[in-house]
Amino acid sequence: VDAAPPPHTTLTRAGMAQGAREVLPAAPAVVMMAAAFGIAAGQAGLGVTLAALMSGVVFAGASQFVALGLWHAPLPLLPMWVATFAVNSRFMLLGAAVSRWLSGLGVARRALAVALLTEVNWVQAVRAEQRGETDAGVLVGGGLLLWTLWLAGTVTGVLVGPAIPNPARFGLDLVLVLFFVNVLVDTWKGPGDLLPWAVAGAIASLPPSILPLQWSVLAGAVAGSLVGAWRDGR
Amino acid sequence: MAAEPQGVALATGVMAILGMGAVTYLARVGGLLLMAYVPPGPGVSAFLKHLSGCVLIALVVPTVWRGDVPVWAAVVATGVLARTKKPFLAIAAGMVVAAALRAL
Repeated sequence: VDAAPPPHTTLTRAGMAQGAREVLPAAPAVVMMAAAFGIAAGQAGLGVTLAALMSGVVFAGASQFVALGLWHAPLPLLPMWVATFAVNSRFMLLGAAVSRWLSGLGVARRALAVALLTEVNWVQAVRAEQRGETDAGVLVGGGLLLWTLWLAGTVTGVLVGPAIPNPARFGLDLVLVLFFVNVLVDTWKGPGDLLPWAVAGAIASLPPSILPLQWSVLAGAVAGSLVGAWRDGR
Repeated sequence: MAAEPQGVALATGVMAILGMGAVTYLARVGGLLLMAYVPPGPGVSAFLKHLSGCVLIALVVPTVWRGDVPVWAAVVATGVLARTKKPFLAIAAGMVVAAALRAL
């Protein structure tokens, strides 16, 4: 289907600056969500050191909230790690989806470029690829600013505490979903997307008793893409 | 270091977090590793072609499905305005709709 040679990917400072600029409008929402995590972390008994360490090292909101739910002595280490991997397993799909676009970089730079991979800078990379760009700096620069904001928001949340207003009051909790909706409208290529998208949505929405929530994105996206690939190959 | 009777010792907390970071990085790099070992072919290309859209759908649909009226209204508002190709306008409109309905 697609036998084009791999792109000559670069990773430049200008690309990183562009990636960071693209993230700027989302900065208030990222900081507020991070502050919400910081408040919850403080209430769960993490001091500012551990909360900041978790945001800096893990940098994946949903899994951090799950870990807070398990944060009581003695810490259930193995269940916590398994749950973290399950919730973040969707990152494998994000990486796979941009793997061809990144394939022009050396192995070490590729391994570093995905260190701060999230849905937001992944979308930046997907859109850059759609525009025919080959500078992986957008992924890294976007990730670096998101990481900085996430860390700053977390520390603020722990230190200031519940005095910070709830992000839901301003609709800030929906920014990520609305961002995805916006990109989806652009990603729609025609009726051929209907079947894979319907399968992905249906599988991802299965009740938690059948499909545990932490696997929903992975299972839905894989099922939809498999059905799409099978249909295209007929 | 002695821990509070109810508290989590700092060293244990650090270990828990470093482990979380390790498995999360494994997930982040896992897609690249996997694709390095999967032989390229038309089936794999077709799968990857559908993957981005299906990931986004799998992220959005459960939230909408399990959401309430403000969430639905916000998604509709952003979805309609997304056609204007003004992403900030579309997302801001969705947030305002949700915030307004929640304030009622």
